[in-house]
Amino acid sequence: MARLVVIPETFTMVNFDHARLVELAEEVAGRVGIPADLEVRVEIDEGSPLGRTKLASVDPVTLWMQGGALENPKVPRTLSDRSVRDVFARLLFRANDRLAPGFAEAPPDDDLTLQQHTAWDTYAVGRSERLGYNPSRQRRLYHFRNRHGFSDVADAVFDRLWSADGLSWADLEAACAETAAGREPAPA
Amino acid sequence: MKKLMAPDELARDGRFVRLNTIDRFSDPRTQRGAGTGGRMGNRLTPDRPGAPDAARNLMHGIFVGEIQALEGAGRTCWDYEVGAGPDDVPFAFKLDMARQCWDEARHCEISVKLGDWMGTEIGEFAETAFLFEAACNPDPVLRLTGVNRALEGLAIDVFNAMREFGVVSGDPVLEFCEDWMLADEVTHVKMGSDWLRRITEKDPERRDKALEFQRIVDKLFSGGGFRGDDEDSPIKLACRFRELAGFTGDEMDELGELSRQSRAEAQAALAARAAGG
Repeated sequence: MARLVVIPETFTMVNFDHARLVELAEEVAGRVGIPADLEVRVEIDEGSPLGRTKLASVDPVTLWMQGGALENPKVPRTLSDRSVRDVFARLLFRANDRLAPGFAEAPPDDDLTLQQHTAWDTYAVGRSERLGYNPSRQRRLYHFRNRHGFSDVADAVFDRLWSADGLSWADLEAACAETAAGREPAPA
Repeated sequence: MKKLMAPDELARDGRFVRLNTIDRFSDPRTQRGAGTGGRMGNRLTPDRPGAPDAARNLMHGIFVGEIQALEGAGRTCWDYEVGAGPDDVPFAFKLDMARQCWDEARHCEISVKLGDWMGTEIGEFAETAFLFEAACNPDPVLRLTGVNRALEGLAIDVFNAMREFGVVSGDPVLEFCEDWMLADEVTHVKMGSDWLRRITEKDPERRDKALEFQRIVDKLFSGGGFRGDDEDSPIKLACRFRELAGFTGDEMDELGELSRQSRAEAQAALAARAAGG
């Protein structure tokens, strides 16, 4: 099983149990298929109640996230198993993709467009659902529609990405191009 | 049936979790300025990376606000007798509150369906009872200013902002829902403006007290400049709709000023905390 190093080791602004967080993250890493000899570094900004996350690096694999992404939205400052599984599955699937040759051409995360980010997230979260996790499909569809358009074309592409396996970066680019072709520019 | 029900007596099923005001404001993360989501000086627009989730969170807040508005208008129908005394209200006032209940119930249903559309579960986010607390004032005129003019006025601003969000993101469902609810909110604020004028026609002191209560609620909900008339205010004052609802130009200028004050105070507090380590 891959080794997860979660920083900080002690949380002072939120009531997160470090051991539980590592346990959940390692469980997800194992199920996603992160190589057992890989160390994954996780940096958490516990001082932020917001929910931004990113794959900061693949060499070494480094995940960065704001504490709000892992908390229970009903009980602020407490850890939510569902949120942890949701976030780690999405980011670790992306890390795994980046380690594969089919994604060698993908730009760094900071250079991805919102459409590319959302298409990749859809592909990742769809796979996490098939692992038995319980992400909200409708929430992801809403994200996708916001970025790719509220249209039948966008919905069809979403369905395809959600149920896909073995895609490459070229497939995600093609999906983005397909929705872009049917999208009208937003009103000024 | 008892009158003047307290906020902690509101009935909710197991999906809802109530966050009290002390817990909300004692979160150490928001005290260091991280709670605004970068909203201070940032409008909620679809091109922001976290915009879809921010919109879902905001709309869930609106949903629980609709439930509390229904409860508040319902209690205001019940809590007062019909008459001309200082603790009484005109029958037509009760009819307006009953009509508002009907609107709010419809808004709850719309919000539930909108939540389904946006991928939000009922009770997904913690609920605060600010709105109902403003509806607990023993004086019905202060309820009019605190709820109908201040909070329903805020609802005008939020619905207008979210309607624009729907237009820009191309979301026909969000745009349509917000447009319909916005129309009702204008009516609710107008009812507040009209009844305030009529009930306090011969009692300027009571009117001043009610308007002062409105200013307090308005300032509270301008939280750090969250709502204001500056170009970069996350939620902009919807001046045209407020005008339709009976707000004067002076009142809107005052709201803009309250927001700037609130933003300046929040920034000063953050600076003081930063200086203190």
